[in-house]
Parts: sequence; C-alpha cells; structure tokens
Amino acid sequence: MANAFVAAFEILSFGAIIVLIVLGLGIIASMMGIFNFAQGEFVLLGAYITYLAYAKGLPIWAGMVAAPFVVGALGFVLEALIIRRFYAAPIVAMLGTYALGLIIREAVRGLIGGFYLTVPEPIGGSIDIGAMHISAWRFTIIVITLLVMGGCYLLLSRTNFGLRMRATLENPSLARASGISTPLMYGATFAFGSALAGLAGALIVPVFSLYADLGLRFLIQGFVAVMVGGVGSFIGPVAGAGVIGTLSAALPWVMAPVVADVLVFVLAIVFIKFRPQGLIAGKGV
Amino acid sequence: MLIFTLSPLGRGEPRPGGPPYDAKIETLKSMTAVKRAISAEIGGEADVAMAGGGAAAPIRSTRKILPIVEGVVLVAALLAPLVLQDYLTVFATRVIILALFALSFDLVWGYAGIMSFGQALFFGSAGYGVALLARDLNVTNIFLVLPAGTLIGLTFALLLGGFLLLGRHPSSVIFVSLGTLTGSYAADRLARGWYYLGGQNGIPSIAPMSLGSYDFTEGPAFYYLVLGILVVVYLLCRFLVRSQFGLALAGLRENEQRIAFFGYKAQHLKAIIFTIGGAVAGLAGSLYAFHEGFVWPNMVGVVVSTQVVLYVLFGGSGTLIGAVIGAIIVEGVSFWLSDNYRDIWPIILGLLLLLVILFRPLGLISFVLGERERVGSFGAKPKEKRDAAP
Repeated sequence: MANAFVAAFEILSFGAIIVLIVLGLGIIASMMGIFNFAQGEFVLLGAYITYLAYAKGLPIWAGMVAAPFVVGALGFVLEALIIRRFYAAPIVAMLGTYALGLIIREAVRGLIGGFYLTVPEPIGGSIDIGAMHISAWRFTIIVITLLVMGGCYLLLSRTNFGLRMRATLENPSLARASGISTPLMYGATFAFGSALAGLAGALIVPVFSLYADLGLRFLIQGFVAVMVGGVGSFIGPVAGAGVIGTLSAALPWVMAPVVADVLVFVLAIVFIKFRPQGLIAGKGV
Repeated sequence: MLIFTLSPLGRGEPRPGGPPYDAKIETLKSMTAVKRAISAEIGGEADVAMAGGGAAAPIRSTRKILPIVEGVVLVAALLAPLVLQDYLTVFATRVIILALFALSFDLVWGYAGIMSFGQALFFGSAGYGVALLARDLNVTNIFLVLPAGTLIGLTFALLLGGFLLLGRHPSSVIFVSLGTLTGSYAADRLARGWYYLGGQNGIPSIAPMSLGSYDFTEGPAFYYLVLGILVVVYLLCRFLVRSQFGLALAGLRENEQRIAFFGYKAQHLKAIIFTIGGAVAGLAGSLYAFHEGFVWPNMVGVVVSTQVVLYVLFGGSGTLIGAVIGAIIVEGVSFWLSDNYRDIWPIILGLLLLLVILFRPLGLISFVLGERERVGSFGAKPKEKRDAAP
C-alpha cells in the first residue's frame, strides 16, 4: 500500500514536471505553428538563473521568481530579431531555433563547465503521511504546476489579452483589421511561452541539478507530447504531456527501464501516425 | 514536357523568378564535354521558350561553374594525402566518410524536401551492424561488410520511411521531421541501455576491414578506398538527381500538391529517395565504424543527426557538391580550432549557422553558383518519365 502510494506520487510528480515543460512549448506550437527547438535551452536558462542567484548568495526563491521574467524578456527580443523571419516556413523555423538553442546551450556550457551543479531545494524535507514520506519540494512542484495550468487557462480563455492572442493566431488579417497589433501579439505569445520554460527550469533544477544538456533531455519528450496531445489548442498539449509524463514514469515500474524508455516513443509515434490530429482535435483554448 | 507548359502557374512560389527547368541533355561526363553541353543547352532553351510561352526567364549565357567546383574538390582530395602528414590523412579519411554521409542527407532534404532529423539512425545502425558482424561472426571481408552495412541502412530507412511517409493520409512535414528525430533518439536510448550492444561504451576495438589477407588500416590506402567509394556514389547520385526521377523530386520539393495532380505518387517518390538516402548513410556508417575502430551510442543519436544537417546547410543543400564542401569546411575548421578554441567553437558554429539560415539559405555554394545552375537540368527523353516515376 505504502509502496503503491509512493509510486503513484513519483509518477504524478514526473507527470507534473513534463506538463510544466510542455506548457510553453505547446503554447508556442499551437498558437504560432512553430516547433521551438530552443525551448529546451530556455528551460536551461531558467535553471541557470536560479543557480546564479544561489551562487551569489541570494535566496533561491528570488532566482526562481526572476527566471521567468528574464527568460521571457529574452524570448521577446529573440522573437523580434530572429524568429519573426521564420513564420512562413516551419522547417526553417526548426533549423533556426535549433541554431539559437545551440548558441545558448554552448554558452551556458562554457559558463558552468562540464559539471553537474546542485541547487538545494528552497522547501526541503519531506511531508510525512503516516509511515510514508514524500518530498516536500516535489509536492510543491505539483501544486505550482496546477496553479500555472489554471492561470494559463484563465488568461487565454477569460481575459481581453487572451482573446486578442487567440484572434491573432486564428485569423491574423481580420485581427489586424480590428485594430490588434499582430506583431506585438506574436512577440507577447513567444515571450509568454519562453517565460513558462524559464519557470519550469527554475523549478526543476533542485530535482535534476544543473548541467548543459538539461533542456535537451526534455525537448524530444516535449515535442512528442505536443504531437500526441494535438497542435492547435491549449488543452491538447497539456493532455499529451500528462499522458507522456505518466507513461514514461509508470512503465519502468512494470518492465525493464530500457524497453520502457523506447516503448513510450514508439507508442507515441504510432499513435500520432494513426491519429494525426492528436488526442484533442480542433482549435480553441 | 507537361511541366514546362504549366510552369507559369508556379509564379509566386517560394522561389519567385526562378528559372524554369530546361530540358537539355545532361551527360555524366559534362566535366570533359563542355562544348557538347553548351550546344545542348541552346537546344534546351529553345524548347522551354516554345513550351512555356513568354514565361521563360531571360536567357543568360553562363559558364558552367559546377563542374569546375567539382573538379577542384576532386583534385584537392586526390592530392591531399601526398601533402598531409599521417595523422592528418587519418583525419581527412574521416572527413571523406562524413562527406558521404552528408550526401545521403542532401539527397533526402536538398532534393526531395524531406526533413530527416534522424539520418544518424541509418548511419549508426549500419555501424553497429558491421561491428557486430566483426565481433561475433568474425566477418571483416570488405565485399561482405560494406554491402551488409548498406543493406542495414536501406532496411531501416525502408521501415521507418515507409511507416512515416506512406499511408492513406499524406504525413505533414512536421510529423516526418519529428518522427525521424524521435526514431533516432529512441535508437540512442536503446543502444545506451542494451548490454549486447555494449551500453554506454559501445563496441570497442573492431577488427580492421580486410580484403583477402590485406587489412585496411588507417592511412593512405584506406583514404583512397573511401575516396573511390565517394566518387562512385557521387556519380551515381548525380545521375539519379539529373534523371527524370530527379526532375520529379525537384517538383516535389517545390510544390508537392502539383506533382500529385500530375499523377505522380508523391509519397512513393519520397519513400524511394528516403530509402536510397538510408542506404548511402548505411554505407558511410559501416566505413566509419571500421575506420574509427569502435562504435558508440552517439553515432545513432541526435548529436550526429544534427551534425549532418549542419554540414549540408553550410555547404548548400540541393547541390551534391555543396554537401561535400560543407562537411569538409565544418570538420576542417572545427579540427583547426579545436586546439585553442574548443569551448567557443560550438557557439561560433551556432552563430554561423544562424547567419547562413537567415541570409544565405542556399549555403556557401550559392556564393559561386547561380540559381540556374543549382536547379540544373534534367536529361533523358520525355518518354522515360513514366518508367522513372512508378
């Protein structure tokens, strides 16, 4: 019983981490039609900023708060300078963002060296429920993920900003005719997606420690999750991330980890092949 | 000739103002037969002008640059071992093998417009295949291992390409590129975790490739063997992309829907070229495994997959020689810089790549090569069109 509960918690917390990482990726992919290969490096940057704050003696949570804003601002600048040129050709966008990601990743590698740097958890210790102990920080991640998910949903579906964002992405010319500044909205969307990646990086760095290939590890999982969930909506990628995260955390409990690892990807690709529109089809929030 | 009569519809395509394909007869020996080529070119122009009405681009008489570039590269490659020190010859051999690998990606992306982010899957699986042959069955005969490697690459490409590309609904480009990427990543994870394949360490100390009692070890002999293979494969590819099949591929890259309307089975064409690319990658992979003497999981993974994308984008996709030049330049510069600037070289590489994508989407070769010559010309009689495109 206790084991089953711990297993369930592990699976849930890994699922939450994947959801957190995929949120930004999914928003950019769904709303702008760009598969951002630099997203993993935005996660890495978020983690790096948190580490910097820690290394400079600031409280860790200060770094975690700063990370999404700094990465979001960087995303805004990059969109205006570079990404903007790629909207017409999704494949070229992949290559361009890959190059961007390469630059960021190698720059960070140069800064931290080939080390694995650890950042302590801002909320340490464990929560005890009877005889069971679960990590307090992982529990916090689950809570924050739920809050961020809810916040994003409300932002996109209930606010004026979300309405304009969706209008821009669904029909740019009509949006322009209605007086919405579409370049600004594209920039804002990309910045928002990058900020979410920065937040994800900041939150996961105590769990995974900081190393240059941190983002790369999640990038392909993230892409697969977005495709499984369905490009075009907000809910789709989140659902896909839930499925992929749960599967990749749950399967190693029942079979050899190597087989499980590969099986998740094979299952996902087969699923996408026969249901290209994904779990949740259609536009919308 | 159907394509030429319809080419005015293509105005407003991604390459506006691009010259229509001329139908002049391309000979394989155009390097030596310049005169013949020029006379054929004139005939081709007339053909296009007649068929395409007023849509034909203004006729420019240009000297052919492509054969010159190819000749220079070939001569340089032939002379290289004579002037290079031993350890540099070993390095040059590796570059030539990687150029062969780059060729395979260029066929798939530059000519058919399929973004294969998993080309290393075929490269590495062939490497692992021949390494296993050498380790477990003691087979190192060059006439057995190279065809085996090619076959492994071909089989994997056929399976993956068939799955990703064929089907009732045509797959989106995004799906194909992410599918190949995922395939390569999954293979990497499998190779890392599977004890039989050596896990993280891969398979070390593979016995050298042999011909009778002669062993191919690193050095000039291996270099010329690899160079010979590259030249043969290059010429075969050149023939392929200049044939009617190549014309159909170029059409596919430019406007897939229109090619489908003409009655070509676009998905089948893609699967065929993907498989051919996989076979070439397999050949390169088996050579690489024997040259390096070991295989390791990175060889099937995302790192090498993206490396080959870099080569081709740098050199110039859509020209075979561009892929070769790209591999030589990227590897050469990184070798040259790796002593002093090992840390910042990947950053420079990323910046250069970004600049190339933004300002020179056709790669470095486009500095010397005009658009018209890049697109090239497609030979053979119009009758053969049906046979070439099943």
